[in-house]
Amino acid sequence: MIRLNRRHALGLMGATAGTLVLPGYLRAQGAARPSITIAVQKITNNNTLDVWNEQSNVGERVFYPNLWEGLILRDWMGDQGPVPGLATEWHRVDDQTLELKLRQGVKFHNGDEMTAEDVAFSFSPERVFGDTEPAGGKTIFAADYKPETAKDIPASLPGIGRRKWPSLAGVEIVDRYTVRFHNATPDVTLEGRLYSGGSQILNRRAWDEADSYAAWADKPVTTGPYYVEDHRPDVSLTLHAFDDYWGGRPPLERITFVEVPEVASRVNGLLSGEYDFACDLPPDQIGVVMNTDGFEVQNSTIWNHRISVFNTGNEILADPLVRRAMTHAIDRDAIVQALWGGMTVIPAGLQFESFRSSDMFIEGWTVPEYNPQLARDLLKQAGYKGDAIPYRLLNNYYTNQVPTGQILVEMWKQAGLNVEIEMKENWGQIMDFSTQAGVRDWSASNTINDPITPMVTQFGPNSVPQQRGEWTNDEVNTLSQVMETSTDRAKRKQAFARMLEICEREDPAYQLLHQNAVFTGMRSDLNWKAAPAFAMDFRAENWRVDG
Amino acid sequence: MITFVLIRLVRAVVTVLAVMTFAFVVLRMSGDPAQVLLGPDLPQEAVDAFRKEWGLDAPLWQQYLSYFRAILSGDFGLSMRDRSPAIELVLDRVPATLQLTLPALLLKLGIGIPAGIYAALHRDSAVDRGVIFLAILGFTIPSFVMGLVLVLIFAVTLHWLPSGGIGTWQHALLPAITMSIGGIGILARFSRSAMIEVMGQPYIRTASAKGVRWQDVVRGHALPNAAVPIVTIVGFMVGSVISGAVVVETIFSWPGIGRLLIVSVANRDLAVVQCILLIIAAVMVVSNLVVDLLYGWLDPRLRAQPAH
Repeated sequence: MIRLNRRHALGLMGATAGTLVLPGYLRAQGAARPSITIAVQKITNNNTLDVWNEQSNVGERVFYPNLWEGLILRDWMGDQGPVPGLATEWHRVDDQTLELKLRQGVKFHNGDEMTAEDVAFSFSPERVFGDTEPAGGKTIFAADYKPETAKDIPASLPGIGRRKWPSLAGVEIVDRYTVRFHNATPDVTLEGRLYSGGSQILNRRAWDEADSYAAWADKPVTTGPYYVEDHRPDVSLTLHAFDDYWGGRPPLERITFVEVPEVASRVNGLLSGEYDFACDLPPDQIGVVMNTDGFEVQNSTIWNHRISVFNTGNEILADPLVRRAMTHAIDRDAIVQALWGGMTVIPAGLQFESFRSSDMFIEGWTVPEYNPQLARDLLKQAGYKGDAIPYRLLNNYYTNQVPTGQILVEMWKQAGLNVEIEMKENWGQIMDFSTQAGVRDWSASNTINDPITPMVTQFGPNSVPQQRGEWTNDEVNTLSQVMETSTDRAKRKQAFARMLEICEREDPAYQLLHQNAVFTGMRSDLNWKAAPAFAMDFRAENWRVDG
Repeated sequence: MITFVLIRLVRAVVTVLAVMTFAFVVLRMSGDPAQVLLGPDLPQEAVDAFRKEWGLDAPLWQQYLSYFRAILSGDFGLSMRDRSPAIELVLDRVPATLQLTLPALLLKLGIGIPAGIYAALHRDSAVDRGVIFLAILGFTIPSFVMGLVLVLIFAVTLHWLPSGGIGTWQHALLPAITMSIGGIGILARFSRSAMIEVMGQPYIRTASAKGVRWQDVVRGHALPNAAVPIVTIVGFMVGSVISGAVVVETIFSWPGIGRLLIVSVANRDLAVVQCILLIIAAVMVVSNLVVDLLYGWLDPRLRAQPAH
C-alpha cells in the first residue's frame, strides 16, 4: 500500500503540473532556436517540390535532407554511402527482390504514422509510373500517357521514373512495417536506387486529400526534419522545424530560401547581414567574401563532372581520330588553375571516389593525357582539312562555362583544330539537331555508389546522346546490359573498365574536363559544414551551438 | 470627335493583336519549350510526353487557333512549370510591381517636371546648368549600375536599408529610387526644352507686353502649351507602370512582373509570357489612347485634323 504524506502529495502535484507545463515550456524554448536565410540563384526549376518532377541540382539543395527522406538515406556529410533512413534494415530475398523493415513510429508532417501503405503508394502507377511497365513488358515509357484531370501526374513523370527504376515490377506490402521491392530483372543496384533522387516517401492521405497535383506538389507532406511552411514559387521557400521528427528535434526554427538571381545581389545581401548564406558563388567572388571580416566561403567538389559531348552526326566528328585529337589537346590542369583557382580536381575519367565503396573504381585509369603533338598526329592521320566544327555554348549555365569554352577553342586551335563557338540561348536550341551540330557542353552526375550512374544512364542505349543520335556504340550497349542485370561483380567491373576505354579512348562519346565544385558564402560564426553536394544538411548533427 | 476616338480604338485593337501574334510565333520558333523546361538530362520519352501533354506536337497554326479561341473565352492557359493558371500567377505579381512603379512614377513627376520648368525659367543660370548636368547623369547611368552603387552605399556600407527582397517599406526605397532616377532626368530635360520653346513664342511676348503678371503668363499660357510633349512622355511612363522594371526587379530580387517575365521567357513558359505581354500591351495601348485623347483636349486644333 502506498502511503502519501503532505510532502509526497505536494511533490506529486508539482510533478503533474510539470508534466503538463514542461512540453509547452520546451516548445517555447524551441521558439528561441535560430532561423536562417539562404540566398540561392534558383529555388527550383519547375516550381514544384515534387522529387520526381524536380530532378535538378537546385532541387537537391532544398529537398535533402531537410524535407524529403527515403527508406535508405545518402550519408551527406560522410562518404555519401547508404545509411538507414525510414527503413532500419534490409536484405536480399533473391537477385530480383529486396525486403526492407520500416522504422516504426516515424511521423509525417500531418501527424500520420508512416506505414508500408505509404511506401507502396510512393512507387505506384498513380504516383509515378503511369501506365508503363518494367523492362521486358510491352513498353518502358509512357509514350501515350496524357493527364486528363488536375490530379493526374505530369506526362513527363513516368519517363523520369522509369529511367531511375527501369525494371521495378512493384512494391509488395508484407505487413504494416515490411515491404518487398520486386524487380523484373536481376539488379545489384536496387539499394542504391532507393537513395537516389525521386525514391523518397510521401504521405498517401495528403496526396489523396489534395485538390490537384499542383496543390500537392506545392506543399508535399513528408517525414523530413522540416516541413513546408510557405512556398512562393520563384520567390521564397520557408521550411519550419518539425518537432516530431524521428531523428530528434531540428536545431533551426526556420530555413528560408530566397531566390536572388544576381550573384552581386547575393554577395551584397550576405555582406549587409540580410542573408546568412549565399550559394552558387562563382570562383571570382570568393575573394570578396573571404576578405570581409566575419564571413567565409566553404567549397566542396560534388558528384558531378563537367563534360562535353561529341555529335558523330557531324561528318568531321564521325571520325574517332578527330575526337581523340580533341581530347588530347586539352590542358585540363591549366583550366582548373586559371578558372577555379585550383579548387577542384581532374577525376580519373568518368569515375567518382564513391565507386570505391562498391569496389567498382578502376585503378590507374586517367583522362586522356595533354599531348598537343599527339593531337596533331591524329588529325594528320584523319586527313582533317581544317573545316569548322561548331561548338554550341550556353551563357554560363555551368559555372565558368563561357571562359572554359573560349580556352578550349584556343587549345584546340593550337593543335590545328578549327572549332567555332555558337552561343545559344536555351537547351531547346542546343538540342536542335536539325542543323549541323558538333560539340555541346553537359555534366555527368553520380547518384548511387555504382558506375551505372552516369555511364549507363548518360551513355547507354536509353541515354539522351543515343536517343537523339549524337553517338552510339554497339559494344557499349551490350556492356550496359551487363551493368544493369548482371550480379557478378567482377564481370560488371570488367564491363565498366571496357566502357571507359571505348567512351574515352577508342570511340570517344565525350571529353571530360574536371569535377564540379560549389562555393557557399556564409557567416563565419555559424558552425555548419558544407556537404560534397548541392544538398545543405541542417539536421542537429551538422549545426553546433557554441556555449 | 467620334471618328477620332473610333480610329484610335481600332488602332489599339490591331496593336494588341500584333503583339499577341508576334509573341506567340517568336516564343515557339526560338527553342523547343519542352526541351527548355525539362533540360538536357531527361529521356526522349519524357520530352515527347511533355510535348503531347501541352499540345506542342500540333502544327503551329493549330496551336495559334486554339490559343486565340481560348483567349476569346477568357482562358489564358496554364503555366507549363507547375500547372497554375497563368493569369493568377501574373495578377499575383501586380501588387508587388505597383509598390515600386507607382512611387517611382510619383518621384519622376514630382521632381522631373518642376525641375525642368524651373531650369527653363532660369535659363543659363547655375541652377539651370546643375539641373541639366544631373538630368544627363540620371538617364545615362544604367539602372543596374545605379542600383548596385546605391546598395553598396546604403546596404553594405551604412547598413541603413535592405539590399533586396520584399517585406517592409524600407525594402522598396532603393529599388523605387533606382527606378525613378532615369525618368526624372528624362522628364526634366523634356520639360525644360518644351518650356524654353514655348517661352520664345510670340503669344508669350504679347501677353507680357499686355502687362499680364509673369506668374499668370507661365501658368495660363506657357504651361498648357508645353504640356503636349510632356504628356507624351508621361503617357509612356504610365504605360510601363504595369510592366515593372526587368533589371531593377532582378537586381533587388523584387518579385514583380518584370522578374516573372524574365523567368518565364527563360523557361519558355508560353502561357505566362503571353499573358504578361498581352496585359502590358493592353495597358500601354490604353495609356496611349488616353494620351491621344488628351492631345485633343489640350490642343483643340488636333481634333479638327484628320487622323493619319
